[in-house]
Amino acid sequence: MSTSTIGLPYLGYGLGLRTEHYQDLLADPGQVEWLEIVSENYLVNGGLPLIWLQRFRERFPLVMHGVSLSIGSTDPLDEDYLSRLARLARRIEPAWVSDHLCWTGVQGVNLHDLMPLPYTEEALEHVAGRVRQVQDRLKRRILLENVSSYVSFADSQLSEWEFLAAVAERADCLILLDINNVHVSAMNHGFSALDYLRGIPVSRVQQFHLAGYEQGEHLIIDTHDAPVSHAVWDLYIEAVRRFGRVSTMIERDDNFPPLAELRAELEHARTLAEPLLRNAA
Amino acid sequence: MSSLQALQQQLLQAVLSERTPATLPLVRADGIADTGSRLEVYRHGYRVRLRDALKQEFPGLHHMAGAQFERLLDKYVAAHPSEHYNIRWYGAGLAAFLDYARPWRDRPALAEMARVDWAISIAFDAADEPSANIAELSAVAPEAWPGLQLSLQQNLHVLDCRFNTAAFRRAADQGGKRPRLRRLQQPRQLLVWRKDSSVHYRQLEVDEWQALGAAIRGEPFAALCAQLAAYHAQASALPRMVALLQGWLEAGLIRGWSFA
Ligand SMILES: [Fe+2]
Repeated sequence: MSTSTIGLPYLGYGLGLRTEHYQDLLADPGQVEWLEIVSENYLVNGGLPLIWLQRFRERFPLVMHGVSLSIGSTDPLDEDYLSRLARLARRIEPAWVSDHLCWTGVQGVNLHDLMPLPYTEEALEHVAGRVRQVQDRLKRRILLENVSSYVSFADSQLSEWEFLAAVAERADCLILLDINNVHVSAMNHGFSALDYLRGIPVSRVQQFHLAGYEQGEHLIIDTHDAPVSHAVWDLYIEAVRRFGRVSTMIERDDNFPPLAELRAELEHARTLAEPLLRNAA
Repeated sequence: MSSLQALQQQLLQAVLSERTPATLPLVRADGIADTGSRLEVYRHGYRVRLRDALKQEFPGLHHMAGAQFERLLDKYVAAHPSEHYNIRWYGAGLAAFLDYARPWRDRPALAEMARVDWAISIAFDAADEPSANIAELSAVAPEAWPGLQLSLQQNLHVLDCRFNTAAFRRAADQGGKRPRLRRLQQPRQLLVWRKDSSVHYRQLEVDEWQALGAAIRGEPFAALCAQLAAYHAQASALPRMVALLQGWLEAGLIRGWSFA
């Protein structure tokens, strides 16, 4: 077991920063070691968002997590977005910058959703080229996160994990593995979550997300608005066994509970992972 | 066209379409769920996200439109695909939509309300600007005053209102009862601005708007005073101007000044 060989720091156990918890998090950060911000919330010209961000910057290591890069889209990369993103990164010097392995729109229309890609050689070449473009622009490696999906494509020649691993290798980028999303997509498409973990190169995984989902009639829906499920905790244990010490956070996007509840979930992650990591050391 | 591009365009059309297609050849079929319900997750999610984003930005309009608000949002979402990467900007076209789309265009207070909500929304994270203080301005020599040109905050907005729209926004902000919609006897101006990190709005007095409007146009101080002379006796025009200026400085409306 080893940490990432690619050289970004290990940050420990963190949370996604949400306005609902601003006050509480500054008053009592507890064991929260780092914060992930949603980049788009701070790509603004001024005002309150940037004042808050500065306060957190002084207290916590930060990482930037975006939802609008649309790395898989066949539309050109959004220059305005990229330059704002680069400016924010210069301003707060995050430990790293991430987005999703998906597309969010095409023909100028934005669906504001993480749309899945077909796992083809064509898509692989397209995405890898754009990741290199973005990395040149930001002058750093980025992390790409696996998304939850509800459709898969007749054209796909690779499994999702083969595709993700190949993008990371070909573009020389890192992986943000969302354990919940692995579970959701495994259930929705009938593949094995363990096969998925085994297919991801250990040295590329820089961060874990843990989150909750909602059980629909036939599909499970990644709402990120519920506590982490048993199945996802079990998968997290397997992920820690395989990937070792990886910066881990609880990601809640809606239906916000009191901060104490999220901190308790984060401590649960620590309680599960630390004994495994000590044994392996 | 590449096959990736074709796939993305077809999936996009399926998400935007009024009804979920039951099948789409590019989607792999399996025994877990049918293609229609798979696509519906995306189709439904798109609409919910846009509606939620609009609800955050238009609390005054929500209060004014009441039970019709949801339908109004649905119509806007159906008519306007989102084009900006940041969902926060999706509401930029709502007021213009309400200007021309039936049946809303027959209730012009709605478009006006949307403009007020949007001005408040964009003031919130507009660029930070310096603001001048009274001490600095009082150092200006008396003989220089007539030619003094104020420069105002760029994030300040003045909206023409024909209705008591601000009262709806205030009720929404403060959890108050829905006011009664009233047409004003004559159009009045609503000033929206940000001081430090808080956004403010208030109706301008008629004479204040004449002076402030002249300042916004870059006219010198003497011209601002001349505007007030139309509303006040000679002896009280200058004190009124001084009082207004103090108020503008305290509210942080003034960035600085130069001389004509
Ligand atoms: Fe995630």
